[in-house]
Parts: sequence; C-alpha cells; structure tokens
Amino acid sequence: MAASTTPAPSALLQRLGRWITNLFATALGLLWSLPVLWALVASFRPPHDPMSRGDVWFGGFVTMENYVRAWSLAPFGQYYINTIVIVVMILAVQLVTIVLAGFAFANYEFFGKRWIFFFVLLQMMIPTSALLAPNFATIRWMGLFDTRLAIAIPYFGSAFGTFLMRQAFLEVPRDLVDAGVIDGCNWRQLIRHVYLPPAIPSLIAFGLSSATWHWNEFLWPLIITNSDASRPLTAGLVRFTQLGEIGAQWSLLSAATLMVAAPLFIVFLIFQRRFIQSFLHSGLK
Amino acid sequence: MSASSLRKKRSGLPYLLILPTAGFVALFTAWPVLLSFYQSFFLQRLNIARFRDPTFIGFGNYVDLFSDPYFLQVIENTLTYILGTVPISIMLGFLFSLLVNRKVRGVGFFRLAFFHPMVLPMVSAATIWLFFFTPDYGLFNTALRALGYTGAQNWTGNPDLAILSVIIVAIWKNAGYYMIFYLAGLQNLPTDVYEAAALDGANGWQTLWKITFPLLRRTTVFITIIAFIDAFRTVDHIFVLTSGGPSRSSTVLLFELWLERFEYQDIGASAAITVIFIVVLLAFTVTNFITSERKEA
Amino acid sequence: MKKRFGTLLIILLIASLAACTTAAPAEPAEVEEPAPAEETTMEEETMEEPVIEPVTFQVFYPVAVDAPIAAILNGYIEDFQAEYPYITVEPVFSGGYADVQTAIQTTIDGGGEPPALGVMLATALYDLINAGTIAPLDGYIAAMDDGDAYVADFLPAFLSNSTYDGQLWSIPFQRSAVVLYYNADMFAEAGIEPPTSWQSWAEAAQALTVEVDGATNWGLHFSSDWPYWLFQPLAIGAGQNILVDDCTVTYDDPAVIDALQFYIDLSEVYGAMPAGVQATWPTDPPDLASGATAMITHSTGSLTGLLDSVDFELGVMPYPGREEGTYASVPGGGNFYIMQGAPEDQREAAWLFVEFLTRPEYVADFSIQTGYIAHRYSAYDTDAMLAYVADVPQALDARDALEFAGAELATQNLGQVRGILHDYIQRAINGEMTAADAMAAAQAEAEAALVDFCP
Repeated sequence: MAASTTPAPSALLQRLGRWITNLFATALGLLWSLPVLWALVASFRPPHDPMSRGDVWFGGFVTMENYVRAWSLAPFGQYYINTIVIVVMILAVQLVTIVLAGFAFANYEFFGKRWIFFFVLLQMMIPTSALLAPNFATIRWMGLFDTRLAIAIPYFGSAFGTFLMRQAFLEVPRDLVDAGVIDGCNWRQLIRHVYLPPAIPSLIAFGLSSATWHWNEFLWPLIITNSDASRPLTAGLVRFTQLGEIGAQWSLLSAATLMVAAPLFIVFLIFQRRFIQSFLHSGLK
Repeated sequence: MSASSLRKKRSGLPYLLILPTAGFVALFTAWPVLLSFYQSFFLQRLNIARFRDPTFIGFGNYVDLFSDPYFLQVIENTLTYILGTVPISIMLGFLFSLLVNRKVRGVGFFRLAFFHPMVLPMVSAATIWLFFFTPDYGLFNTALRALGYTGAQNWTGNPDLAILSVIIVAIWKNAGYYMIFYLAGLQNLPTDVYEAAALDGANGWQTLWKITFPLLRRTTVFITIIAFIDAFRTVDHIFVLTSGGPSRSSTVLLFELWLERFEYQDIGASAAITVIFIVVLLAFTVTNFITSERKEA
Repeated sequence: MKKRFGTLLIILLIASLAACTTAAPAEPAEVEEPAPAEETTMEEETMEEPVIEPVTFQVFYPVAVDAPIAAILNGYIEDFQAEYPYITVEPVFSGGYADVQTAIQTTIDGGGEPPALGVMLATALYDLINAGTIAPLDGYIAAMDDGDAYVADFLPAFLSNSTYDGQLWSIPFQRSAVVLYYNADMFAEAGIEPPTSWQSWAEAAQALTVEVDGATNWGLHFSSDWPYWLFQPLAIGAGQNILVDDCTVTYDDPAVIDALQFYIDLSEVYGAMPAGVQATWPTDPPDLASGATAMITHSTGSLTGLLDSVDFELGVMPYPGREEGTYASVPGGGNFYIMQGAPEDQREAAWLFVEFLTRPEYVADFSIQTGYIAHRYSAYDTDAMLAYVADVPQALDARDALEFAGAELATQNLGQVRGILHDYIQRAINGEMTAADAMAAAQAEAEAALVDFCP
C-alpha cells in the first residue's frame, strides 16, 4: 500500500483490512486442511474403534498402533529408498533437459520450431493406459525390466517442464538478453547468467510438481517392476487402498498415507520460502 | 517478442538442445501414440476368441462411439466436469497466491495448507474424502449442516450430486498447485509499475485488477492449459468415490477409456478414445497458444 | 547463488548416475528366461529316473482384506520350498484384483512372459478363457491319485465359476460370501427374532429404525453403489438368480424385478433404510459396530474386523428368502489360475503349489488368519479349525450361508453386462425408472452386449 504520508484513519482502515484478510486466510487454510487434519487424528485412533455420529475425531485413547502396523505390512524402508532414488534421478535429468529445451524454444527461431514444440507437448496429453503395453515392450527391449531406471526413464524428457521453462525464459526482458549477447556470452553463459536466475521460482515449482507426481505414481511402477527391491512407496500404499472385500480401514489408511506423504510435506516447507524473493506490494525494491 | 531479438540460428544448436527431450518423448510417447492411432482403425476385442486378432474396419470404431448414447453422455459428463473444475481451481489458485504472497508471520504454514493436497496420493486423498462424503456424520455434511444446509447429503450415491463430489475433490486437490505457479509468476512482476501506481494513489483493488492480473496473463494462459489437461487426465478419485456412477453420471472420458480397455477389453474402441482424447487436448492447447501469442505481437 | 545452483545440479547428476548403477537390484526377477535346458521333469508317469532341474515361477496376487497376506504367503512358500527344494516361488504383490489382471495382461501384450500362477476374481473366468490367458487344469487333476475326491472336497458354491465347456479352469483360494450381519443384542432387546422371510426382515428393520437426537438410526444398511453382488441373494431368494449361464441373463425375470422392488420398498414402504443409492460399503461395518444400524449386508471378509470392534453379540446369517424359512447367499472372491503363456515346467510347479496350498491344514490356517471362508470340507475337520469355530461360531455361520448360494454373476463380456445391470438397478433405486422398466431395458441391452460372444 502507499507510503507513510497517508492520514491516520486510512492507516487504521488498512490495518483492519489486513486483519480481516488474515482471518479469512486462516479460516480458508483450516478448511482446506480439514481432510488431512482429520486423517492425522484418525491415524492415532485405535483401529477397532468405529467412527459414528458425533464420534469421528479422537477415539477412546491415542495409539501408535496404526503406524506400527502399517510399517510392518510392507517393506517401507526399502520403498522409501527406492522412491527417493527414482524421484531424484528423474528430477536431475529433467532439470537438464527442460532447461536446455526451454532455452532453445525461448531464445531461438528455427525451422519447425512450433511443430517440434507441439510434438513435445504430446507427452502431457496421452493417457497412461495407452502407454502401458508399448512402454513395457520398449523397456523389455532395452533390458531394463524390474529396475528403478525403468520406472524413471520414460520421464526423462518432460513436456510440462519444457513448457514451463520456455514460459519462464520468455519473461526475461529482451534487453537483458541482448546485453548479454553484446557482451559476448555464448549460449551456456546466457543460460547461466541471464535466463536461469529469474527462473529459479519456476524451477522450484517444477521440482515440486515433478517430485510429488512421481512420488505418488502408482500404475506404471507396479507394472514395470516385480520385486520389492525396485518398487516405490505407492506399491506399499496400495496394500491399504484396494481392500475391496471389506472397504476402507480409515485409521490404518490414514497412517500409511501420512507416512508416505510426510517427506514431501517437509520438503515443501523447506523450499517454499524460495518462492518469495523480493516482490511485495509495498512498492519498495 | 520482436523478431530482431530472436537469433535466427542456421547452426544445429537449437536442435541439439532439444534432442534429449524430443528423443525421450519420441521413444516413450510418440510411439505409443502412433500405435493407438493405428489400432483405432481395427476391430480387436481380447475377450472374444474370434476378435482377438485385429480386423480392419476403417472409421468403424469412431462411428460406433459417436452413435452410442452412452458415449455422448460421457462427453456431456466430461464437459460438466471440466467447466466445474478448471475455472474455479484457477481462481482459487490465484486467490491463494495473493493471500500467501505477503510478509506475515507463519505464512509458510498457509502455503502448506493450500498446497499440501497436491502432495497426497490421489487414491488416499479420495478415500479420505469418501469418509467426508458419508451421509449424516461425514465431516463434509457436518460442516454443511453447520452452515445451514438442509439439502441432499448422499454426495456419491445421488446421480445429480455424484459429479459434484468428484469436482469438489479435484478442486481441493489442484487449487494449491496452481497457486504455486501464480506465486512463481508474481515473483517476476516489475516493481516500477507498482511504484508508479502507488504514487498515483491506486488502491488495492485497482492494483490487483488493472495491473497484477493483466501482467500475469501469460501465467494464466499457462495454468489454464495445464488445468485443462489435468482435469482430463486425473480419474483416480472417480474410481474410489463413485466408480463412474451412479448410472454412469460421473463417467468422464478417461474413465470410459479405462472401462473400454480393461473391462471390455476392446482394444479398437479404447484406441479410438485415446485418439479423441489427444486430439481434444492438442486442439485446446494449440488454440490457446496461438491466440495468446498473437495477442503478444 | 548461481554457483551454488550449478554445484547442486552437478551433485544431483552424479547422484542420479550413481543411483543408475545401483538401479538394478541384485537379482532381477526372471520373467523372460525360463530355467535353461528344461525338460518337463515333474510328470509323475515318467518311467526312468526323473532329472529334477530347478524351476522358478512367479505368482501374482492381490490383497483385498486387512490381513498380512504377504507375510502369510511367504510363510507358506517357505514350507512349500522345504518340501520341494528344487522349486522356487516368487510372490509378486500386484495391487487389487483389477491390478493383477492389468499387470498380467500388460505383460502379455508387451511381449513378456506371464507369471505361471495368478490369483484373480472367480468371475473373470470367461474373459480369461477367451483371451487365451489361462490353461485348463483337468490334466493335472487326472494325473492325481485321487483327483475326483480332491475336487469333490471343495464347497460346491466355490467351484460354480470354475468350469466351462466341460473343463476345470480355476481352483478356489481366497473366497467369501454375502451375508446379513445383525446386532443380536438389539434384536433381543426389542423382542424380535432374526428374520426368516422377506416379510419378517422388512418388519424387523422397520421396528429397529429409531430417531435419535434428530437423526435416524436405520434398521438396515444395504449398500448399492456396486450393487450386483449384494443384490444377487435378493434375486436368488425370490426364486431366480440374475443369470442362468455364461450366455443367458435373466434381468427381466419377474422374480428379479420383485427382488428389486423389495429393495426399493424397504425404504419407500417400510421406511427401514435410507432412500436412493447407498454408497456406504466402507462405513457399514463401523456403523453396525457403533450401533448406528441394526443390520448390514456385507462380505464374510469383514467378519474378523467386526468381531474385533463389536461389544455386542454379532449374528451372521444368509439373507432371508421371499418365502418363509428360505435363505439365499452368493459367493465371491478370487481363485488360482495358471497362465497358458508360461513354460510348461513352471506351470507344473505352479500346480504343485496350488495342490499344496489347498491341503486342509493350509486352507484352515489361511481362513483363520485372514477371515476368508475355508473352501474345503476337510479343512473343517482339522484341529486348528475345530478350535477356532469353538471360539468363533460365526465362522461356521458364514460357511453355512453357502448352502443357499447361487452362482456369482459371471458371463461373457462381463464388464459390459455387469455395467448395464448396475446402471439400471441404480436408476430404479434412485426413482428414475420403475423396477420393471429398468430391468426390461437392462435385459435388452445385456442381450445386445452378449450377441457377439454367444453365437
């Protein structure tokens, strides 16, 4: 809002406005968190304490039983390691491919540019069910069946990431690019010094997006691997979500879900600060 | 983007830079797309012995699909789902980004509160919502009754409400995701425009609608495309919440595709639906793209 | 900042390369290559001394109940491998029933070799036969000393989806049935006997429906968002199951229409259950346990969980039939299938494993540990089972419900035929069509869907 020369009543109104905004944001945030808050409480609820009208939060007592049990029903330790390896592997390669490709699309004109771009975008538009059998055959042909690399490799090229990077790089002011060119930068230096720095928030956004997507991917890893040595967390989680004969075990499922999602929560909390660099409505630089 | 500042490259450098990405896409996406395209012209059903080997039928699969009233209902459901999910998720994403783009103590937890649904596996999230939608004591209904709602509560069993239930879960899951991209976009807004506006005495609303939102146009176009594609591609929650029902009222295109491929074992029909799927998404993306880029120039 | 980012990127790349080199697990499961130089060594009628080459096969299995199936199976595999040291069994957990089928189908479509053994729904029979996925089992039965006795020992209801065209194609493994659970204490307090006919059932449910603090505790919860399974015993109890064989469905039979009307009447006429489609499968057992309802229709698979959560006497019975003193139920669950595309030695080894797991003591143990119904008569004579049913008589009630069971819905083109039924049952329940109109339309569509399959 405006600087300090405003008269007092308007400042009061501003403070009231901020207070109301905070209240609104808090209420909305709480509402949005309700499902997970409930799951958190349910995960500590004794497993055979049924939910009923007026009794959906804490049960007779609080117990860690669900977590202990969930952990014991699948090799979660191994799954954690596998998932981290897979997600890091994918992200590492993707960061390279999307920056290079995004840069090419943003910085150059070349023949067939638009066609190639739409070709790459296809990857976002194809449903997984159409991919299962053909990619299974390709992976077998490559001799990679039942490996973590097999889970990761179809994603090394990322249409979404390329799209996002092209977007972010296009936001960089032309004069900056031209200045860099005039200074004699080659393309690697252009990327490093001109394009990348303002694109960091987008890279982080992409990283979070890619990490959460692949952390939670279920069908492809299940199809392309058979052994626990290469399977990710979702292979463990599915033991709690497909209980067709009996229906959901809310407490157990909540515990398993939170176990699977917790690392991502933590990663997000660490990285979310990086989103906010300098911009504020205060008009200060 | 003036042509003079884009470097016309006669060397192969841009192609080399794109090669890794295009290579992986070609191997793991283009090839399956071609295969689906090819298969869509054949009659092939794995669960009838005499239809196991494909027979060429030209556009037969497409004709059958579009003359089937069920498929038309699926298209209608899909449109409802898209219209219900995409605009609201994007607007909420924008609202959230404004709320958390402030210097307030503990804003990190606000960001977590809005973003965290994205982090949960969809199957788990949908199962939790399954509880929330339970008539009578499910928390969604409890909250609604607390706000004075006295209407129907059978969210997943009522044919008029079932599609709403899956829309609600999709919005809840995705709004925080779009918030992230708006936040990233907000970071790169030029501060000098805001200084000028402040000096001119613009208030918060005017700043928002006349400056911030227009400056975020490219981000909004990007998010719209992503949201549209996401709405088509995510159906895990439908499996959990409604199984596409009741009476198919919540069966959308991708769900129908799954049914054709894995329940009815109809390779030809599922390939045709895959092609339709891709064509729709491609058409939307390309159109959006071209119109937005034209506005730039 | 930029330097740090570059360093981070390099570290990530190195980490991923390192991960790549350790990506392949020590011994990737051998899907493609069968054990080298294989002769069929397991045939019992070989004249000369058999050369026993080691053989490894995989079994794809689902987990559909809240029990440590993986650990249980691993225990059984250890016992099996102790008895047959040259056979190695690799269990591959593959999700739910649908996921197992998808995994096997994708493996075949993608040019891989399917596992020798898989556990899939009993009703998937015709789809699997038509797709050429599974192998008939008569050869193995014939080679047994007591093949006929072996087959006769299975509860007949559980074999009702195993035969086609004069051949046997699957062996029961994890089986369940539909039952009516009721709160015996509530019945006793209200002075009502457990129902013995539709009439007494409806009246009991009506009497046990009470208003509590402005909300209704219904006498009966009867889930209908995946309706066919829970609906079948109503039709059977009315006199006609919804199908006759793999090519004939009887959706518009008057008895079936009456059954559907009875379901609707339970809410409309008797006010005994919520109106409309009830999407309450997961919450019905807790609702019964907490006293929010007096009766639920559910799977025997929920028995163990219910017994752990109830503080009243739990009653288990088949549905009452329309006529006084008649009852009805329907089986469910998964069977063992042997895949056609697996090498012969693996299939033979898989059969030995099936035979092993269907020994009475293992059948009993599996049932006790998981809550599935023991599917062989001889299992009920084992010490473990005798002790168990002394403690948990409801387990016998669950088995006895099968006496009144009809065949589970399994037809050609099952996905479509079943989908049609679901669609129209739900329309009738939601009041969009009358029961008669809905079932007539369903019959017409189902017949159209079966035309290509049933010449």
